[in-house]
Amino acid sequence: MLGRTIAAFTLGMTVALPAIAADAPTEIKIGTLYASSGRYASISMPVHSGLKLWIEQKNAEGGVYVKAFDKKIPIKLVAYDDQSNTATASSLYNQLITQDKVDILVADSGSVLTAPAVAIARDHKMFLFNQTGTGASFFSKDNPYIALMADPVSTIWPKPIADFLIHDGPALGIKKVAILYSTNEFTGTQATAVRKFIKDSGAPLEIVYDQGIPTETTNYTVMINNIRKTQPDAVIHLGYAPNDIALLRNIGEVGVKFKMLFSIYAGLETELLEKNVGAKGLEHVFTYVPPTDLDYPVNFGMTMAQYRAAWNKTYPDGKVEFGFNAVAGYTTALVIEKSLSVATSLDQLELHRAVFSLSGELKTLDGTFGLDEMGGQIGELTPLGQIALKDGHLKFVEIYPHDANNSKPVYPRP
Amino acid sequence: MRHLLLIVLPLLVIFALLPGVYQNHLLLFNFVIFLVLAQGVNIIYGFTGYLPFGYVGFFGAGAYGFAITVMHYHASAPMAVLVAGAVGVALGLFLSPLLRLSGAYFAIANMAAALAVLHFVANPALEDITRGPYGVSLTGTFNPTLAYAAALIVLALTMGIVVFLKNSSFGLALQAVREDPVSASMAGVNVVRMRVIAWLASALVAGLAGGVYAWYVSVFFPDNVFSSDFSIFAIVFALFGGVATITGPIIGVVALYGVYNLIGFTTPQYFQLIYGLLIMVLVLFLPAGLVSLATRRGWRVP
Repeated sequence: MLGRTIAAFTLGMTVALPAIAADAPTEIKIGTLYASSGRYASISMPVHSGLKLWIEQKNAEGGVYVKAFDKKIPIKLVAYDDQSNTATASSLYNQLITQDKVDILVADSGSVLTAPAVAIARDHKMFLFNQTGTGASFFSKDNPYIALMADPVSTIWPKPIADFLIHDGPALGIKKVAILYSTNEFTGTQATAVRKFIKDSGAPLEIVYDQGIPTETTNYTVMINNIRKTQPDAVIHLGYAPNDIALLRNIGEVGVKFKMLFSIYAGLETELLEKNVGAKGLEHVFTYVPPTDLDYPVNFGMTMAQYRAAWNKTYPDGKVEFGFNAVAGYTTALVIEKSLSVATSLDQLELHRAVFSLSGELKTLDGTFGLDEMGGQIGELTPLGQIALKDGHLKFVEIYPHDANNSKPVYPRP
Repeated sequence: MRHLLLIVLPLLVIFALLPGVYQNHLLLFNFVIFLVLAQGVNIIYGFTGYLPFGYVGFFGAGAYGFAITVMHYHASAPMAVLVAGAVGVALGLFLSPLLRLSGAYFAIANMAAALAVLHFVANPALEDITRGPYGVSLTGTFNPTLAYAAALIVLALTMGIVVFLKNSSFGLALQAVREDPVSASMAGVNVVRMRVIAWLASALVAGLAGGVYAWYVSVFFPDNVFSSDFSIFAIVFALFGGVATITGPIIGVVALYGVYNLIGFTTPQYFQLIYGLLIMVLVLFLPAGLVSLATRRGWRVP
């Protein structure tokens, strides 16, 4: 009986293995878009470069391990340049799905260039690896074809800032808060979240200035003077990198010193801001401490130090800044790699299952990967920090939450 | 009638059949949208001489007209597209005083007006109505097939308007106004009325196109539907083919948007170089558009 069983098993394996090998594709096609020019190039190119770096690395190792075929399979990247044009992006996403027939669909960076992909991916039943599109309108319980890879959803991202103001602010003498934000989905949602956290807390904080302005704003002189008149103890600026650059430059020109100034991109794209504002202009600015400075323990992929070394080796010219977005692109790649290593087929709903199975388990250089039920990223909240200038170099000092606390904040700004 | 049969009908038949043989329907849809927008530019620029750099304002307003009608009034998508057209016309009426300006002054004022509409729609204070900067999701009405069919109907309407302008005394009067408004007025043409009608017709088709686009795309932000790229592309395509004709903008869209996508799909790294050189060559050697190749030889171009 045992002999017969072994014989049947052997025969079965003999028949099945070649069948698996024959079914395995010669390459895994990853389709994505990037913006080499236009308004979103500065956030798109680092993300794209991170993804490309991983693909080159995996192909040099013989490909990515795909559990569905129990072998390593080389990756073919199909990438189109949408030039920050949303109409172009929509037809290119469709091209990736209908003509190139990619196995894995990865969105461009940012909500505006991710938006055209959401309905198309869902219509074609393609799972969308949404890299940094935090738009709340993308996620719904009835759409299983999307998940956010790297950024926390904007509704919870600014919680550490609000918590700092609520819990530590009164002791530091922070009573009046000014909020200035750019009216786009990314920063508008963060402003709404900060406002809500503060109001719901019942903390003795008064929002004395709350103003949304067009994202295209390049001169903040009037706003700076208006904010100064309200004598705030803390100024929270929520804008894109160009907004932060313009604001910080104008603050330097006007000669105002707010007691506390928060800016998103001082931390997320420090190299870019330092180039444009100078190290002195960033000193004492409060910001998100980027993963590049946190060195999260990893259970998959390179550590931050290894990734930075690989980045510098691959992109030695420094044309694309190494920062938060560079990490986001590589994080997406790691989620893809890990998903392929657990998915039992390349069916898109199986990919969905595989991605969601990583929630809370996968720890990358971007922190813990965690998803809510709709696919929003909730894994790692970026701590609040403050930039210090030491020996001419910028350094992040972690401020909040306290378990990650390195030092007390410099408040008020000298 | 001849133009309808020989130009408009084949164009519509081709775009109605193409989805059966080419799967990237969204690309075909974008072709149709740009055909509508280029012809919309043709109506206002080709026949009156007003260059609408802010043409996207009507398109975006139409898209948000569609979205608001669907979100707040739970109207059907076809009804919302009609509302989108009405919103385009209403905005056109509101902005009609701009027609007092001319040349670069009109172009700049029109662009500023489009930006103003964008920031009005994206204002967080209007979140309850427009969803402000946070974007809309209209997945309930999402139906690519019907949206494509609706785009073809809007294209048919737009082409009908252009054919009418090309063949009617009204269109002739408009061109007279474009060439010399004082002489046209002396000849009994109501200059203001003529211009406003052309302006509103142009706004109507852009509003309808915006509505259909919102129907197809279904998830978008203000920046998506008010992107100045729509204005620039529509103007470039119309000029490339040749304005004040029926076929010029069609040739412009098919050739230039075709090349645009061909380069984008095959050699995206050389995109700007090739596309930029192509436009430079045309501006230098064919400033009146591709149709001027024929008109220079004395051939009549419809």
